[in-house]
Amino acid sequence: MTPARNKRIEIGLWIAAIAVALVLPQMLGTGVWRNLAVLAILFAVVASNWDLTLGYAGIFNFAHVAFFGIAGYVSAIATIHLGVPIWLDVGLAVVVVGALAALTAVLALRLRGIYVALVTFAFVQLCVALIISQKALTGGAVGLVGVPDLELFGFRLGSDGRSYFYLAEAVLLASTFFLRRLVRSDFGLSLVALRDNEHYAISRGISATRQRVLAMVASSLFPAVAGSIYAHYLIVASPDIFSFSLTTLILSMTLLGGTSTIFGPILAAIVLTVVTEQLASFGVIRFMIIAVLIVLTLRFLPGGIWSFGERIAAWRSRAQTQETTS
Amino acid sequence: MGSVIVAGLVSGSIYALIASGLSLVWGALGVFNFAHGVLLMMGAFAAWWVSDPAGLGLGLFAGIAASLIFMLAAGSILYALLVRPWIGTPAAELTVIMTTIAGAMFLENLALYTFGARLKALDQIVTGTVTIAGTAMHAQNLLVIILAPVLLCSLALFLKLSKHGLAIRAIAQNSEAARLLGIKVERTYFITFGVSALLAGIAGVMIGGLFNITPSMGNDPLLRAFLVVVFGGLGSLPGTIIAAYVIALIEATSSYYIGIYWTPVVLFSVLIAILLLRPNGLLGRSSS
Repeated sequence: MTPARNKRIEIGLWIAAIAVALVLPQMLGTGVWRNLAVLAILFAVVASNWDLTLGYAGIFNFAHVAFFGIAGYVSAIATIHLGVPIWLDVGLAVVVVGALAALTAVLALRLRGIYVALVTFAFVQLCVALIISQKALTGGAVGLVGVPDLELFGFRLGSDGRSYFYLAEAVLLASTFFLRRLVRSDFGLSLVALRDNEHYAISRGISATRQRVLAMVASSLFPAVAGSIYAHYLIVASPDIFSFSLTTLILSMTLLGGTSTIFGPILAAIVLTVVTEQLASFGVIRFMIIAVLIVLTLRFLPGGIWSFGERIAAWRSRAQTQETTS
Repeated sequence: MGSVIVAGLVSGSIYALIASGLSLVWGALGVFNFAHGVLLMMGAFAAWWVSDPAGLGLGLFAGIAASLIFMLAAGSILYALLVRPWIGTPAAELTVIMTTIAGAMFLENLALYTFGARLKALDQIVTGTVTIAGTAMHAQNLLVIILAPVLLCSLALFLKLSKHGLAIRAIAQNSEAARLLGIKVERTYFITFGVSALLAGIAGVMIGGLFNITPSMGNDPLLRAFLVVVFGGLGSLPGTIIAAYVIALIEATSSYYIGIYWTPVVLFSVLIAILLLRPNGLLGRSSS
């Protein structure tokens, strides 16, 4: 396929995505589905941004769910305790989480491979321990309840179930656009170069630490927005976000969707959220089913769900070229 | 002060058993087993189910013996299903993290489904209290403090002297050369996982006798073991063991003097300080 044709297809896909985003909230009528959709979309933001560090940059970063959760707490504390006006607290959450991501990256990237995973995993647990212990500030194990509803020109978003749906979609679209631009920029290419051949990339003048710290910061910004909106939407910042099972769930979205694709994790986030919900009546067995699905996917479809589509596309284009040549 | 040291030594013994299993697998296979905490839980449940009247009711020693045999098998099965298919694939390190996390999720929920969330406990091997140097402690605590170093020494002897132990170390150092020398790498991987699971199971039985048995009992010890292996350096057995006791003593001291809520912060600060000074862990080998 020619680059020009690729570009046309991509623009067409973006227009289709925006059209779906406009229509979907009107179509999903019931509150249950709408709620599920908002969660799926916000998780998709986290999973696809996680892909930037885990997939493209190849950093074993396990702290992304913590960034999402911390943003919620920053928003909650800012609005409830400090009286920061709404919307401004979202910006504050982004700044705090960005700074924290930079700090985590500077410390963790002194290590290699598996140690990064262990330290970032431990970092998430540190967050939980701190949040639960600082009861006066964070509400302890119950969470900090009473995060105010977001308002736009005097319109309270919570008063209509569709508004948070639109907001979440807008964040996902903006985040995806940002990520796709980023991974195809020189910066994105330098990350892939560092992942694939670190010594060679460094010898060609790429600063490993700087690029990776920047990647961590860049990938933390939209999850911070999502985390802040999540807290406003649910009216609560809760320590449950940091739980092992949510980390596993969102991580499996990134990996099952297919790393280094951005679109794969988004697709997987939507599929997994719906599947998890459909299996709700199975109780604990549903987690066993999801675990088996994860292992089977990693075994038989190592590139994730997205690679399945790519495989079909490659097969079809090959069939086409055969037709034209014969 | 005495009770703080006892608490530190008890947790240190348990962390050392858990972390040395992780370290062993890392050294030989280059993968990290996130299901290690769940193995610990399974060891405790196996011992409980065989020994408790609510299960088979065969008594404590039958329970422990059954648990040990079960763990050897469990480790091998875990390796065959969750690790072996990905050995040698490009992103094995990351994929195995994911498969073992999925395995942990599966087994924890299986235990929850089978046994329920109600707290269970193993009978104590020895009862009563002992007083040493003016510090009173449960006899069970003393047993753990004495037993762990004995087990760790036998692990070291196994690795130094036995055929299979030498094979594990040979593979850890250079798996291709080991293969050329006729070491059955595949079989050794199974043995490594079996031994690692056995150590986790023993730790599980110890925790089950001291505290409670629940499906999620392995999570906290596993996280401490993470700190231990980062601190001590993966693949270095002495480093891991020293780090386990150091971490546990810091933890016990800070819980007693600073408060239990600040302990994770203290541990993390120490960890950061160590990492800034020695990025490969306290006694870790410098990375390739």
